[in-house]
Amino acid sequence: MSDPGIIFERDLLRRRRERAAATFADFDFLNREVAERLIDRLRDIRRNFPAVLDLGSHDGTLGRLLGPEFGVERVVSTDLAEGFARRAPAPALAVDEEALPFADASFDAVFSCLSLHWVNDLPGALIQARRSLRPDGLFLGAMLGGETLIELREALMAAEMAAAGGASPRVSPFAEVRDAGALLQRAGFALPVADADTVTVTYENAWGLMRDLRGMGETNVVAERHRQPTRRDVLFRAAEIYQQRHAGADGRIPATFQVLYLTGWAPAPGQPKPLAPGSAEASLATLVGRDDG
Amino acid sequence: MQDTDQQVHEEPQDGSGREVDPKLLEILVCPLTKAPLRYDREASELVSDQAGLAFPIRNGVPIMLVDEARQLDDTK
Repeated sequence: MSDPGIIFERDLLRRRRERAAATFADFDFLNREVAERLIDRLRDIRRNFPAVLDLGSHDGTLGRLLGPEFGVERVVSTDLAEGFARRAPAPALAVDEEALPFADASFDAVFSCLSLHWVNDLPGALIQARRSLRPDGLFLGAMLGGETLIELREALMAAEMAAAGGASPRVSPFAEVRDAGALLQRAGFALPVADADTVTVTYENAWGLMRDLRGMGETNVVAERHRQPTRRDVLFRAAEIYQQRHAGADGRIPATFQVLYLTGWAPAPGQPKPLAPGSAEASLATLVGRDDG
Repeated sequence: MQDTDQQVHEEPQDGSGREVDPKLLEILVCPLTKAPLRYDREASELVSDQAGLAFPIRNGVPIMLVDEARQLDDTK
């Protein structure tokens, strides 16, 4: 890959996801957890969303949680991997988030649970998601953020430095929360909000974590990687370093997954808008109840 | 661990595949040109004449990936 805009090899990702699809039920704990958190957020929004797009649906975990409670009549499931689309609630189709096949204004909401961190052209994907929304439609997405797998990344980096005197990217570069808000705005969403929380999972050792990452289809697909897979001895060393640095009293190691939540609305007349800077009619001192100025 | 193959078929292969959801057809467009698609029921394909691509439908699941599409000038 010589195209500088390509960070992730989508072909490779698709193959990984196809492989993961068959046994995903054994590895979907993170997906289920984050889907529940998205549902909690949806409860706070108190709106009806008859037609929904589940973007990057995996096997449809999120889609199955959407029902009459949210006025949902119809969920279209989509995934880059045909194997996932086939397992998700119908109607389902295989799509690339970077080239969506939907007419403008097709949906009342677009939801996405843990897929958008693999998209190369995230602004482009968000713009297309926004266009597929009707006016005042909701985009709500969760993706892995920059703090994700920080322990594993540091351990691999240290092991690689020791073995080869240099390090290469091993775990995908993830977006930061401050980037995410700006991205939503650039993609034309009204009332954009980005925030983050973390899910910490403990493992007996780094091998358990790596097995789970494979099962989730989430292993490194960074284009700028070595031609050879990571050397066995480097992996062993990294697992040791991980254990030494992070093991708790019970000997288990934590793995941090940072989840970014992106919320935005398709613009519509009558939506609340932020006031222009400098347009306030009362001073801040008045607003906070101070009159001693 | 059951089927780890690239191609997973949960329904029997009857050649033509299931019908595509008609309401889905209403909102589908070509992922490249965003132009409407033509549904070729017999070939079980969604055809983008502008892009010169035919997207396969496998067991009722439209595969809207450019890499998987058939070039229209190919022999059928």
